[in-house]
Amino acid sequence: MTATFLPWIVVLMIAVAGVQIGRRLRLWRRGQPAPVDWLGGLRALPKRYLVDVHHVVERDRAAAKMHVPLAGGLVAACGFLLIGLVTGLTAWRFFWALVTLAFLAMTAGALLEIRRRYPRRLARLSGGSWQTFPFALIAFAIASGLSALFATFGNALPALELLTLILAAVGGVALAATAAEGPMRHALAGATHLVVHPRPQRFGGGRSTELKPLDLDAEKLGTETPADFAWNRLVAFDACVQCGRCEAACPAFAAGQPLSPKHLIADLAAASAGGERPPYHGNPYPNARPVGGRIGLHAPIVSAEGVIHPDTLWSCTTCRACVEECPMMIEHVDTIIDLRRFQTQERGAIPLKAEEPLANFRGCDEPNGRVLAERTDFAAGLKLPVIAAGGQTDVLLWLGQAAFDLRGQRTLTALIRILTAAKVDIAVLGADERDCGDLARRLGDEATFQRLASANVAALASVRFRRILTADPHALHVLRNEYPAFGGTYEVVHHTAFLAELAAAGRIPLSPLAGRSITYHDPCYLGRYNGEVEAPRRLLDALGLERHEMARSGKRAMCCGGGGGAPVADIPGDTRIPDLRMAQAAETGAKTVAVACPQCAAMLEGVTGERPVVKDVAELFLEAIEAAAMRPAEAVRALEVEPA
Amino acid sequence: MKTTVLLSHARHPVSDRPQLSRLEAQAIALAAEVDEAPSGLHAGRNETGVVAALGHGLTALDRLDLADTTDPLSALAAFLTRQRFDLILAGRRGEGGHETGLLPYRLAAILGLPILADAVAITPGAAVETLVVDQAMAKGARRRVTIRLPAIVTVHPLAPPPRPFAYGPMRRGTIRRHPVDGSANAADLDTAEERPHRLRPKLMRQSAGQAAGANLYVDPTPEEAARLILAYLEANGIRRYGPLNDR
Repeated sequence: MTATFLPWIVVLMIAVAGVQIGRRLRLWRRGQPAPVDWLGGLRALPKRYLVDVHHVVERDRAAAKMHVPLAGGLVAACGFLLIGLVTGLTAWRFFWALVTLAFLAMTAGALLEIRRRYPRRLARLSGGSWQTFPFALIAFAIASGLSALFATFGNALPALELLTLILAAVGGVALAATAAEGPMRHALAGATHLVVHPRPQRFGGGRSTELKPLDLDAEKLGTETPADFAWNRLVAFDACVQCGRCEAACPAFAAGQPLSPKHLIADLAAASAGGERPPYHGNPYPNARPVGGRIGLHAPIVSAEGVIHPDTLWSCTTCRACVEECPMMIEHVDTIIDLRRFQTQERGAIPLKAEEPLANFRGCDEPNGRVLAERTDFAAGLKLPVIAAGGQTDVLLWLGQAAFDLRGQRTLTALIRILTAAKVDIAVLGADERDCGDLARRLGDEATFQRLASANVAALASVRFRRILTADPHALHVLRNEYPAFGGTYEVVHHTAFLAELAAAGRIPLSPLAGRSITYHDPCYLGRYNGEVEAPRRLLDALGLERHEMARSGKRAMCCGGGGGAPVADIPGDTRIPDLRMAQAAETGAKTVAVACPQCAAMLEGVTGERPVVKDVAELFLEAIEAAAMRPAEAVRALEVEPA
Repeated sequence: MKTTVLLSHARHPVSDRPQLSRLEAQAIALAAEVDEAPSGLHAGRNETGVVAALGHGLTALDRLDLADTTDPLSALAAFLTRQRFDLILAGRRGEGGHETGLLPYRLAAILGLPILADAVAITPGAAVETLVVDQAMAKGARRRVTIRLPAIVTVHPLAPPPRPFAYGPMRRGTIRRHPVDGSANAADLDTAEERPHRLRPKLMRQSAGQAAGANLYVDPTPEEAARLILAYLEANGIRRYGPLNDR
């Protein structure tokens, strides 16, 4: 009896799931067109799933231990049954033993999932249908497994077997029925998303973090309604499994600002469907602002009447922690920037404080309204040649916004003195260096960014250099990854990498700063955006510092709160992000926090009370040089460092 | 209420690039309170600065094609007479042009319109063709005035901040370019005196009471002068040793 019906139950489940996901398919098709390499995506699907996705899932061991048997068992069992149906293997008892084993694995996985939710579920998980979902899974797994077991031993108990088969059919169809609106959707939309992912370059160890240029001649700039999203972005929203890892990593959520990446994605998935707003069973936005909740494919998303309050949008620091943690490979930051672009460019609906730097950008190419020619003023007395058009240098130093800020100037002064001591051939653009436009772009002002980018690319084209050196990871990211779209491809190196090179080359005598305990705070735009987490640590170790790691470090580091225009948008929360981060730094017992970004330095130095000292890596390096110079000449030795 | 905002040729104080004056951007925000589709009016050849007004809330921009050396007064007056606006808003003075600050007044004189200065808020009046204007006065005082339209109103820097700039609406806004007949006069600059700028000390606020009294002494003896100065310092609370007579 099982041999006859169980495979057909699977066929029925696939048919039901197909009909359900077909409803979403029709919805996805109403998004904007997007170029998708279907063949390449399909070919890469197994690898993307088994390697890239698993790599992320595995960071939460308990989740991996649950999901591997659960999904593996379900897919294997259904696969076996379909093969059996086609090939006629169902007459063979050993085949049924295999199917039983697969369902057994699934049962074990479902049990583990129940353990994650009972007696109390993890705070980041969603309740509602997600809470009852494992019971549907386990009911189907046990009923089907028992049916397969009966089939393994021949039709011994036909009455019981009929009962388990009916249960299996009911459980299976109930599962398949949730493929459109319920938890099962994550599997089908998730697989589709892996095939049609908008950033295929990020799989297989690659990286794709740059924002895509916006066509400024488009009818509508940015995203207003769900229908304005590219269709594969709509797929991404449906892929969300509401695991809440993004929420756990989000600095704005932690600080009590009204942002939860998970809630945002769930809202967008709900908004694209229209109709009644489905209930959300996760954590609410902290200090949630009231919204009207009107949803629909063509209803504005961000407004007091829509589903997402503007404060939610402007709380984001674009730190990409959510993207880094997402096992479904959803690109939250792209989504937020798309929504911001519409708010800024079409509605001018930007927090008034954030409009100030944008107005300055339009007026004088500098967010604080400073004179570009005064950028090098801080370096009076230092050797810092300004390169004229047609000039040539080995290393072009990109000063960035830090040159106008007293704290940033200390770092830059240290850096310039190191470079002078190392006899590096450097020069700056002087008045031709406009702001890189990072802030304008993250605030959604794409027009200003593109104007600045074109002007800077033109200025850089007028001089000859081998590579660009900068102490600002934001400028680094923009110059390295976002200017190529505007015709400027450069070799850009961050000062941590450059100084690590210098230390490794042993050209400068360094005296170890032994006995000082430090902890290194990774800038998001260096670590997550550019994957540079090794060089700064290598450098700090070369300086002889005793390095303690924070619980969240490297690519999983927590943001300082300074990115994405969040400090200028200044959305109030319960606490401040830099306070949280500084507390984590203090927890390591280190007396110094080493930073590598002027934004991080400014944010972390703004923390009041007793706290570790904030030092840029360049300042520590200069201390080591100066310590070496203080010692008698014979005692000086160049520090030997293992080459990378 | 048909409203237009006069837009001058302003320059950014740091970069010297043409830009929209902030005060005029504030005037646009005020105009949007009483008119759903306010327009702007600029006399001059260079559009690059004033076009930003479309991104701050104007739906259309009229530009009189006029050389920068020409006095725009008669051309503006002729245009405004033709168009019959209910309300004409203006900043206090140009920023980067000749900056006399007289243009709104001379315009009002030619057009025969009432002019009200330093508005921080405007609302339509209870009666038709009236406007309620909140005027900014010294020391944060406000005065509410009701005027009959049409009228010219200039805007005070304490008016609400301008609406943030939006690129899309600027791109979609219409610019109407109007030729001007050649009879326009060149700016009357010859009669103006030109002299180098001299920094003047800030006027200090006088404290109330006797300090404001007569304190001009012609050719006093040194002792008398010293006594007067000390007495002045005592009286104003700058020095506290008690009256000299007590010692």
